[in-house]
Amino acid sequence: MSDAKFDRRDFIKLTAVGAAVAAGTRAITHADASSGVPRGDYQWVMVIDQSKCTGCGYCTQACCAHNDVAPDMAWNEVQVSGSVGDHITYIARPCMHCERAPCVEVCPVKASYHRDDGIVMMDYDRCIGCRYCQVACPYEARKFNWKAYREPNPAVPEWGQPEIARRPRGVPEKCSFCVQRIDRGLELALTPGVDPDATPACCVVCPTGARVFGDLNDPNSAVSRILREHASYRLREDLGTAPRVYYLPADSAEMEG
Amino acid sequence: MLTLLRSHILRPLGIYKWTPWLMWLTALGLVLSVALVTGVLVFWQGLWITNLTDLVPWGLWITIDLTSIALSAGAFSLCVAVYLLGLKRYQPIARTATFIGLIGYTMALLSLLLDIGRPDRFWHALVYWNPHSLLWEVTMCVTLYLAVLVSESMPIFASLDWFRRRFARAASWMQQTHHYAPVLAVVGLGLSSLHQSSLGAVYGVIKARPIWFKPEMSVLFMLSAIVGGIALTLFATMLSSRLTPKARVNDMLVERLAKFVGWLLIAYFYFRAWDTLSTTYTYDPGRTEALGLLTGGTLSFNFWFLEMLLGMLLPMIMLLHAPTRRNRFWRMIALALVVLGVAVFRWDTNMAGLLTVMSYLPGASEVAYTSYAPSFAEWAAGLGVIAYGLLAFSLGVKFLSVVDHRITQDVTERVQVGAQETVAA
Repeated sequence: MSDAKFDRRDFIKLTAVGAAVAAGTRAITHADASSGVPRGDYQWVMVIDQSKCTGCGYCTQACCAHNDVAPDMAWNEVQVSGSVGDHITYIARPCMHCERAPCVEVCPVKASYHRDDGIVMMDYDRCIGCRYCQVACPYEARKFNWKAYREPNPAVPEWGQPEIARRPRGVPEKCSFCVQRIDRGLELALTPGVDPDATPACCVVCPTGARVFGDLNDPNSAVSRILREHASYRLREDLGTAPRVYYLPADSAEMEG
Repeated sequence: MLTLLRSHILRPLGIYKWTPWLMWLTALGLVLSVALVTGVLVFWQGLWITNLTDLVPWGLWITIDLTSIALSAGAFSLCVAVYLLGLKRYQPIARTATFIGLIGYTMALLSLLLDIGRPDRFWHALVYWNPHSLLWEVTMCVTLYLAVLVSESMPIFASLDWFRRRFARAASWMQQTHHYAPVLAVVGLGLSSLHQSSLGAVYGVIKARPIWFKPEMSVLFMLSAIVGGIALTLFATMLSSRLTPKARVNDMLVERLAKFVGWLLIAYFYFRAWDTLSTTYTYDPGRTEALGLLTGGTLSFNFWFLEMLLGMLLPMIMLLHAPTRRNRFWRMIALALVVLGVAVFRWDTNMAGLLTVMSYLPGASEVAYTSYAPSFAEWAAGLGVIAYGLLAFSLGVKFLSVVDHRITQDVTERVQVGAQETVAA
């Protein structure tokens, strides 16, 4: 085709192809948004200090009470991770709220999604119960409701009062960083991580102060300060999931004190 | 009891003899009624009556779902051969394959409906899109492809005598859809290539399960689906011709395709062997252990005996070695073994990843194993889904002539094929 033959029809064709390519590119980049990195005003993270954790399991109890979780489906699990010197070390594992969350990427209906503040949320009303997220999660953070939970919750009222509704049968559930406490607290002009009423129940109840919560966007928050001053690690960093739960490794000198 | 059944139910229906056909229907009916009760129980009680756990959330039903879809791949493969590659003489076999495909995809939907926790929300994937999710893509493709299969099978349903007499105009309209067969074949090829391979990628993208995390999952799923799909079509064709005079088969066509399956098996075997061997190139925590499950652990019988020996090597030899291929009995056995091998491949793939439990603790490289065996409810409902497929195909053979190589649509009308007669096309 020579230039002389490039008539109006060819021009329209070329424009149409160009438009289709542009639309396709946009559709693809738009599709990527479901796994895009959230960047809101707040970036909530949790820091768990293994030097301070005694494995008492209070966090699990408080979590079960405040989120009305069945005892055999605890969102927050505490287990022995090893030892440093004479001391046993523990790992408490809430949902990691990964920046690149496998569960968000694989969910066929966007029932798992990112909030702007980085929290990985579950829409229990949209979920179809396919359990692909459970298969994809490297942290076993999701528990499926094989059965409807109807029994009285043994953690209530000793460890707190339920703040959210029980999840229906047939959907998986997981830790939400106590999103109900964060959102309500912000409405009341409280600061999550500072004011107990706006902070995840596990952090509030911890008797040794091993769990710290806060906003990574605020350079003066406790979490920003701790992560600046201490060496920290995250679970399965090799997978590239970029969790928002940081651990301070157990230090035997600190544990003696 | 039996006399009561005879005098009050069978005789009024005009049935006087206890024929093998009736026994077959009764057996399927029994399995289906148990499955129906179990299905109601699953919807009423929830999934706790299965043996699925948070560590093994996918089990027998997912295997049946994956296998049904894989074994339906004969539909798109043969439609492509007939309508796009111009191998028109295989048109009657493509017809059988299309009908099997329609059954297979509905089987897959049935087992999925059992498996998902919220069957009342099955339509959510069509409304709430996550284009980033492979499962979403598979759901969309399967739904659209089911529509293609319904369109492709319309002439089959229109050929029902009763329907043709009662709804003459609808029947003639439905007959017309075969004019669009080439277009449907193109659409079917696109949709099938997408979701057959993506079903492998559903596993292949999961970083947390190292035995799955590899690109060749798509290739293996695609290739094994084509092999298994054509094999099932041929097996069902041959079995029908053995059991009922309703099925009329041109054995030459079947034999030629069976030879093709033999060659395909070489490709499938090559990829599966290469995939297995290359898994050992480097040590990757979890991946080597999962491979160990296949080659020396709880799945080793499945892997070596059912998948490799019975599912690939033996039928490969039987289908490429002329004397065994020409013998209808041995050819049928070989084709059945291929189908078995593909089903076991789906089960092994799912299980190898789920039974290997990776630790997320820092520095912990030890890998734990868990176990899973389907519960009674899973078996009962799963067998019910299979019984539904068998029943639908049996009725198709008897009333819709889905296995009849004398029937040729106008594209092939120039080639009139007689039963059990060879044609040089």
